[in-house]
Amino acid sequence: METYLVAAPFVVLLAQAVWALLARSPLALLPWTLGGSGALLLVIGYPAWLHHADGVPDATSGFYLALLGVLYLALGPYLGTYLEHHEPRRARLEASLLPLFAAAMAGIPLAPVGYGFLFLWEGMTLLGYLLIALDGAAAVTGSRWFFIASRVSGAGLLLALILLSRGDALEGALKVLVWSGLLIGFGTKAALFPLHLWLPKAHPAAMSPLSALLSGGMTKLGLYGLYRSLTWAGAPPAWVGWALVVLGLFGAVYALVRGLAEDDYKAVLAYSSVENLNLLLAALGGYMLLHTPLFLLAFFFHQVAHALFKALLFLASGSLPGRALSELGGLWHAMPRTAAYTLLGIVAAAGLPPLAGFLGEWYLYRGFLAAPAGSTSLGLLVLGVGAIALASALAAALYVRLFGLAFLGLARSERAAGARDAEGGMNLGLALLAAALLLVSALPRVVLSGMDAPLYPVVPLFLALALAGGGLYYALRRRRHTEYGTWDCGNGAPTARMQPNGLGYSEQLLRALPLIQLQLRSSPTRADDPEPGQVRVVVRDPVEAAHERLGALYLRLARTVQRLQSGSIHIYLMLQFLALVIVLVVIWP
Amino acid sequence: MTSLLLLVLAPLFSGSVKWLKAKLQNRRGPDPLYDYRNLVKLWRKAYVRPHVATPVFLLGPVVALLGPLSAAVMLPVLPGASFAGDFLVLLYLLNLGRTLQALAALDTGSAFGAQGSYRENLVAALAEPGTVLALGAAALASGGLSLAGLARLAPSNALVYLLVLVALGIALVAEGARMPVDDPTTHLELTMIHEAQLLDHSGPLLALYELAASLKLLVYVSLIGLLLPLPPLIAFVAALVATWLTLAFLETYGVRLRYLRVPDLLSYNTLAGILAALGVVLRLQS
Repeated sequence: METYLVAAPFVVLLAQAVWALLARSPLALLPWTLGGSGALLLVIGYPAWLHHADGVPDATSGFYLALLGVLYLALGPYLGTYLEHHEPRRARLEASLLPLFAAAMAGIPLAPVGYGFLFLWEGMTLLGYLLIALDGAAAVTGSRWFFIASRVSGAGLLLALILLSRGDALEGALKVLVWSGLLIGFGTKAALFPLHLWLPKAHPAAMSPLSALLSGGMTKLGLYGLYRSLTWAGAPPAWVGWALVVLGLFGAVYALVRGLAEDDYKAVLAYSSVENLNLLLAALGGYMLLHTPLFLLAFFFHQVAHALFKALLFLASGSLPGRALSELGGLWHAMPRTAAYTLLGIVAAAGLPPLAGFLGEWYLYRGFLAAPAGSTSLGLLVLGVGAIALASALAAALYVRLFGLAFLGLARSERAAGARDAEGGMNLGLALLAAALLLVSALPRVVLSGMDAPLYPVVPLFLALALAGGGLYYALRRRRHTEYGTWDCGNGAPTARMQPNGLGYSEQLLRALPLIQLQLRSSPTRADDPEPGQVRVVVRDPVEAAHERLGALYLRLARTVQRLQSGSIHIYLMLQFLALVIVLVVIWP
Repeated sequence: MTSLLLLVLAPLFSGSVKWLKAKLQNRRGPDPLYDYRNLVKLWRKAYVRPHVATPVFLLGPVVALLGPLSAAVMLPVLPGASFAGDFLVLLYLLNLGRTLQALAALDTGSAFGAQGSYRENLVAALAEPGTVLALGAAALASGGLSLAGLARLAPSNALVYLLVLVALGIALVAEGARMPVDDPTTHLELTMIHEAQLLDHSGPLLALYELAASLKLLVYVSLIGLLLPLPPLIAFVAALVATWLTLAFLETYGVRLRYLRVPDLLSYNTLAGILAALGVVLRLQS
């Protein structure tokens, strides 16, 4: 492909970044520049993916360019309206940094292994950090988590890429080192369990369109990196595949259980991202172990599906009046459009046919069921099929809880009752994503046409369900009916507090799957206090606790080492001398 | 084809189970065809819509019926759609119906509906792995991944198939909301699982839900029928009669499990599924 054409979207994005800093109205062109660059990326990437091109971009790069292109296309108009609600100086900064961030992300699939890649990668994480941090005090913890995770990721990547760019054949310990570096580097970005902790902290802290970009786009680049490593570093040792499959499957179930205990609307979405990413990592691991093409189908198709439905859900969450599930409820009446888009998103996200979320899981199942006879397949098959089944049932529960508590029933707070629907460009962005999701659901060949993919009869099923469902629904709506209160056993109308809250809905499920602990805490009561004592359920997450212990250990170590920095010149001179001796010893022969 | 057959048989099955139960309990009971008349009566009535309800309130019963109905297309009792991996699509279409039903139950803002919704989610989440594993094991043991290609029970695959039958049997009572997991005749809202979700749906909506519930039950019955060592239609009828008798006897002489003990029962389903899958892999290896 012509170089100038590939460069075009980047030029547009950089121009927008500069223009936003200088111009009087920084948002005026954002829908056109960001959306336009998305369209360009789609035009560049999609044919390359479809025709198995092997230039710049090649098929894999093309896939990710097209994926990011669709996201930018929808985000452009959405951001144009969304950022108007921000304070002008902040909006100007965001209108400048977001295109840079987008450009860095789109550059990554095009960069060859080496320093250029590392530069873009670090640029992407740094810009991401800045954009999250712009949210101010509320986002401090989230942006710090993001920053620390990107340091861990960068360290692993630096190690691996330096070793790889030497261009030697990898053997023995070197191979272990490189693959460990790649797993840590890309695995952290792609939220591989147990390196996932940053994601549910950082993504909800960002503003909603940024969360959509992070969950839908940036995490996929971690997957891109791991897939690309297969060509960069050659065939991986078996333990890499096993690590991805076992950690991925366990991580998926764990993330859902953790998400069921979460009260923050966007954090639930973030945990669902962790689940989907871990399933995708398991698919990649399965491919590394068994080389079944079905795993690749799952890997690529589910990335598209996840990017679309997660971006849709996050963008829709941008109009919510609050984030705590215990304070939402009954939002459908105040924001019917947002609710309808969210409903489409959750049915896809719960992995239900005929929408796109199911097909990826179907390929994943079939990949595990096609495992050849042999001792490795024994564990793989039982583990894979069982874990995916559990994960999909839990995902359905998670999304029923999320949608039901936020959009259905009675409003749990004043704020929820006074919500306002998405408007203007935000609607356009949501509609674009919803249309793309429906297109990919009804015609999966749009994504898979070059890959010789088996399909279940998607189109007939899609049409039959849509037509029969629509017809029946219409018939029922026209039937005679009366409006009345909800059934209350004759005790007076149910109040909003009688509905279960976030933890109440999932408590029994969480007790049946004890991956996290629920503890009862009662507030202290005094004998002379007429107010009844309150009992709260507190969630304790063992993985988080382990990370906290690790962090405390690291801080202690850092303080110990800090003593060297005493200010005494004698110690500094001695350290320099010691360093010289070590260098001499190493390079002596 | 199978969809239509099951749709026609569903009220007869649920009605005749009621009739048989009444006979076993020395009551007169409704006649076996009562459920047809009941459905027609319900369909003609007007329904009540709670003030807080949204379109999901109507979508719930519609999809709850269409899920099992479209799933039944893949059952090779009569010729229908068949392709590799169809049993997965079948199970997920059942899930589709259940998910929308659980959503519609939350739509009324009622504490009972919500209770039914999360209880059903618990049962489903625990029953799912065993069921998928069991069907996957049966498919692998038959050397193909489609329901039409399932081998019949034979000495060579007896061990695997018995485990599969155990898993499917438990899944049938769990997903079909029958004893010992759930009691379809209970009148106390606090103890309901499935029924609690339907409390606010009346008239035609209730008719759809009732039809959907018995249809779902018949889908599981047909799945069991596919494994029996008889010609297809006869195997289906045999499974139907066996389930008919078992359900009536279970619900007459058995007791319902306390809700918090249900996971114990479902763990046998998971265990049977895992063992069946292990059995297949070990058999393929040797």
